[in-house]
Amino acid sequence: MAAPVRHIAKVLFRLSPSVFHPLRQNESFLCRLPGRPCLASSPFIIPHHLYCKAASSQTKDSAQALEALSRYKEKPWDYLESEEYIERYGTSPVWAGYRRNHKGGIPPQKTRKTCIRGDKICGNPCPICRDPNVIVHHQNVKLLQQFISPQTGMVYDPTRTGVCMKQQKLITKAVNTAQDQGLLPFQIPHVEFSEDFSNTHDAVGKTPPPPSLRSGDSWYKWYSDITPDETEVAKVKKLYRAYLKK
Amino acid sequence: MAALGTARWLLRSYLCVKHVQKSHRASVKCGVRTLCSGTQCSAHSDSAKPKFTDAAVQDILTRITGLDLQKVFRPIKQELKPPTYKLMTDEQLEQAVAVATEQAKKLLQMPPVLQERTPINDVLSEDKILDGMDTAKYVFTDITYNIPHRERFIVVRETNGTLRKATWKERDRLVQVYFPKEGRKLTAPLIFKQDNLKIVFSQDRHEDVLDLCLVQFDPDSSEFIRVHTTTYEDVEKHGKYELLHSTRHFGGLAWYLVTARRVDGLIEDMLKRERLQDAVSLVSLFHMVHPHSESAQEAASQQATGTELLKIYAQKESQRSGYIELVLQAHEQTAAEGSAARLTCS
Repeated sequence: MAAPVRHIAKVLFRLSPSVFHPLRQNESFLCRLPGRPCLASSPFIIPHHLYCKAASSQTKDSAQALEALSRYKEKPWDYLESEEYIERYGTSPVWAGYRRNHKGGIPPQKTRKTCIRGDKICGNPCPICRDPNVIVHHQNVKLLQQFISPQTGMVYDPTRTGVCMKQQKLITKAVNTAQDQGLLPFQIPHVEFSEDFSNTHDAVGKTPPPPSLRSGDSWYKWYSDITPDETEVAKVKKLYRAYLKK
Repeated sequence: MAALGTARWLLRSYLCVKHVQKSHRASVKCGVRTLCSGTQCSAHSDSAKPKFTDAAVQDILTRITGLDLQKVFRPIKQELKPPTYKLMTDEQLEQAVAVATEQAKKLLQMPPVLQERTPINDVLSEDKILDGMDTAKYVFTDITYNIPHRERFIVVRETNGTLRKATWKERDRLVQVYFPKEGRKLTAPLIFKQDNLKIVFSQDRHEDVLDLCLVQFDPDSSEFIRVHTTTYEDVEKHGKYELLHSTRHFGGLAWYLVTARRVDGLIEDMLKRERLQDAVSLVSLFHMVHPHSESAQEAASQQATGTELLKIYAQKESQRSGYIELVLQAHEQTAAEGSAARLTCS
């Protein structure tokens, strides 16, 4: 019984892989929206009611996802106060409980480059990419503090939090902007003052202007009109008498 | 022979000039103290305004600042190391505390309070022949390593051929490019904008703002003075003097308030926290800086010391004298009770 079913499934796979792709996308969208149960159904079983309505449900889900994106896009810090956030994460940080999938006991030293390429989202996305309401913004201080160590004040390594490299770069940039604007505190180095601030040296003090500028003359003598000496001109003309044009 | 003689004369005159410069610098650094050694000079210094760098002023300001080791050495965010444990005798512990106090005094060194620097607009040459040669300005910086930044020549050749000295902003930027200082950025951080300053003040982070200002700007630049003035005004408005107590910025705050004659809030705060000696020192500093005010003349005539000074100040000068007088009365009552108890006991 199982063998012919598997044979039929293999044939179907070879003939129309595109049938399963929208279904899988459907499932991933349904998983991402909070509150919906995860339908981890196998690709072999194609529920009949999904076959015809696949297209319409897909547009509905994408519309809902878009709505969710836009709700907190203007004020991403509101999401961290909302009920859905508290229900989903509680008091622990966004990256708590996330586990990377990798071969072997030692994880690769760098997390994946990015979770979302175009419209496609990978399997097991990182803690920030899996929740579209979590937006990395320099004013979203509460979220940024979850990625900073309270003892050293440095941003956590991505191998610890599990975020993809693209999001890690965004986090680092946002943390630097927030510290620059004064939203996030950081350790400031101590400065000693041993310089001489009298400003008496010529490099920074007043130097008197040169005499030509003061008197109003031009800088070089030959900038202004020079009247030639008559005797000198006569001498030169006599010397080159043969070559002068008439 | 004549050439030797002129060479010797030139060398001597150059050395004289060098010595003059050095001694001038030294005298400026040490302040009025080196110049005024005789009794004749004291009259002149009394009539002249006491400066921030005077020994007496610095002494009072360091005393008012206080030295809270717990606040100065509070844990900072840094790279974690495994902790070290030391077993010490009482003597060794006292020595360690003394060493820590010395280190704290160094950390509480007050930043200088200076006038705003005069802008530089000196033209060194006007070569009209170079007019239109290039579309960009050229900046020539002397990058010799062993000279102070204030003696570094930085000149700009404009597109119209003028060779001028660089302005202060250009100087700061170029010195940071060639000799980067830790923590300083090429463009000023956005925290120093008015709106961001307001946010930071609402989070009570005045000390951080002032530390960042010290790192980023020179003490005589306009930005430095503007940020400090804004911070001191905010501290005074909300009475948040405790935030800056036992930090290196308290001296600057006290000096700013004394020169502006608005010490009432600070004295009230000191009395609330029962720092009577500090309040007395502050009033004496006020009299030093404003010797012609009513309370100063009254105090000088009565030769008052201690709480008497506070009383005179409360009567003559302060606008909100009520609280000060209350506290002084309470203090007197407790002192009288204490002395009476001692008399009865003995």
